[in-house]
Amino acid sequence: MVIVLKVCHLYPDLLNLYGDRGNVIAFYRRCQWRGIEVKVEEVNLGDQVDFSSYDFLFMGGGSDREQNLLASDLGEQVENLKTAIEDNLVVLAICGGYQLLGKYYLMPDGTRVPGLGILDYYTEAGNKRLIGNIAVNLQMGDKEVYITGFENHGGKTFLGSVEPLGKVMSGNGNNGTDGHEGARYKNVFCSYLHGPLLPKNAAITDYMISQALKRRNKNFFLNDLDDTFEKRANSVMLERLL
Amino acid sequence: MRLIKTISALWLAKVVMLLSRLLGKGKGSTLPGMIALKIYPGLLHSFSFQLRKGIIIVTGTNGKTTTNNMLAQILAGSGYKVLANLEGANLKKGVTAAFIKAAGLSGKINCDYAVLEVDEGAFPGVVSDIKPQAVVVTNFFRDQLDRYGELDTTIQVVSRALKNTEKVKLVLNADDPLVAQLCKKTGQAAFFYGIDFIETSITGVIEDTKEAKFCPFCGNNLKYNLYHYSQLGDYVCPGCEFRRPEPDINVSRVYKDGNYFYGSMYFDNNNINLSVPAGGVYNYYNALAAFAASVYLGIEPQVSAGVLYNYTSAIGRMDRFFYNDKPVLLNLVKNPTGFNQSLAALLAQERFQNLLIAINDNDADGRDISWLWDVNFEAIEEKENYFNNFICTGKRGEEMAVRLKYAGVSTNKITVEKSLEGAVSAALSQESEVTYLLVTYTALWQVDSILNKKAKRVGYSAESMPSVS
Repeated sequence: MVIVLKVCHLYPDLLNLYGDRGNVIAFYRRCQWRGIEVKVEEVNLGDQVDFSSYDFLFMGGGSDREQNLLASDLGEQVENLKTAIEDNLVVLAICGGYQLLGKYYLMPDGTRVPGLGILDYYTEAGNKRLIGNIAVNLQMGDKEVYITGFENHGGKTFLGSVEPLGKVMSGNGNNGTDGHEGARYKNVFCSYLHGPLLPKNAAITDYMISQALKRRNKNFFLNDLDDTFEKRANSVMLERLL
Repeated sequence: MRLIKTISALWLAKVVMLLSRLLGKGKGSTLPGMIALKIYPGLLHSFSFQLRKGIIIVTGTNGKTTTNNMLAQILAGSGYKVLANLEGANLKKGVTAAFIKAAGLSGKINCDYAVLEVDEGAFPGVVSDIKPQAVVVTNFFRDQLDRYGELDTTIQVVSRALKNTEKVKLVLNADDPLVAQLCKKTGQAAFFYGIDFIETSITGVIEDTKEAKFCPFCGNNLKYNLYHYSQLGDYVCPGCEFRRPEPDINVSRVYKDGNYFYGSMYFDNNNINLSVPAGGVYNYYNALAAFAASVYLGIEPQVSAGVLYNYTSAIGRMDRFFYNDKPVLLNLVKNPTGFNQSLAALLAQERFQNLLIAINDNDADGRDISWLWDVNFEAIEEKENYFNNFICTGKRGEEMAVRLKYAGVSTNKITVEKSLEGAVSAALSQESEVTYLLVTYTALWQVDSILNKKAKRVGYSAESMPSVS
């Protein structure tokens, strides 16, 4: 029987900065190469979504203008998303999408723009953008991996009770001070890494796919793929940074 | 005192310009300007009053170099003496270098017009020094994001500078909502150009990342009556009165026949044909921008159209070298929109080809290369049989290989070659009917000089550097 995974690309029209759609492409291809069928659905402003029906939810980054638009739209569906997350939905949230899942965004003038409040962290506007290549060390299942990407964010994020995704080896990460990058809760992976993150960091992609299958109780052996290109691309940046 | 400063800055810069030419270090297009501004920061300002007719600035994401060159040719063809930064050196130092080059040893500039291409980020610094009579804005696409944060910021920077400029006429692309908004945003008068309809045989069916789907004034989703590519088209906001302005220069339909793009418009009680050598559709927009600016300056439309019809700089007709009998085409890529257009052009060829892609991530290229994932390489998949080999090179060639793999290209057709020289050799010598080289900015000169050694250039001039910019 063919296994089908359903991917929700949230607000591709709004959260579409910096090639982040490459994350969806990577998830899709690495499933396809193993004979797993993938259906990608794009969800836009005003659409009603049942998050639990998906296997992978992707939220990218957007410009400030666009992020304000959707906080209010998504606000009505927060409970639905929260339930799915507690039920181990696999989520990748990058940059703006990452900030949105948190409690609030503190503007320079002191106003708090509320986030969805699903995860325990907040973001405050920094006085200069954190821009550049970044290398992060993290634990993915039983594997220790080094990932690379490009960060470009004006906000600084400070974690509350959630775990960081990894440790900054080079670059800024969440706020440039505490050495943390991203956030991790159940199967939710949050990160500032563009590049995009998943294509050249194949270990994360495969871990997400396996978690998605596990959630559906699918007994599927995820065979290794030839990752020569991915590893080379990653090591070029690691060698430059470390 | 000011005269002494001007003369000493000018002379030293001229010596540096000469030296850097003699030593073959670059084309002497920015260093002299940088040195001169160090000695006398007011140099550009003092030069700017000498032009007999005025200063025209061209800015925007894509098409700056070509539009600027076209406008300079039109004005020169109409008998004016023109100063221009033709080499694409578009920061303040490059603009200054252009003035230095044009100035006599006494500091006198004997020119009617200065036609200047200016980088969006450098725009405020330049217009605070020299007051332009008109500013042409071509389009706003995503480009080198890490330099400016994001597109909104870029637009704001340009918009604010225009607002603070005293009485300037804007020449704007009506089809780009991000550009058209500048009229209302800045309160300056505008002269609009646009195209009603472009045949899909030209635009291709390549899916683009649309940039502005939202009204810049009220945030509503823009509705498109007709859509060209990227965010260009005939748009209207359902929430407020923002819509595509009625263009002063309006081409009703653009179509391709042979090696030309044809279009016509009704202007000043005359029917005028505007036809330009075919390339990507962006070339027609570039020509239209130059045409509109020239008409605004009072040039006879027929004269402008004549110059553009014979425009010599190889605008996007990428044929520029021969390796034995094989045509070799080199083009600059720097953002998704430009890359998609180049890709559409070479996929339309249906000739057996080698494709070299060189991706660098130096400052001038943009350090963030994630934009490669916004390019629609997926379009290659069904035409893969036309490709012998994809050769990925440059500082981030490995990443390019990953992008192609995930676009569905067979991995046995993808090669990563670290050395540019080796990559170019392979692209030339391996079996194919034609070889394409798509490279980022800092790889351009290097690849160009390697090609000069290995292949025969067809019609070289400094101005004809391949460029979508």
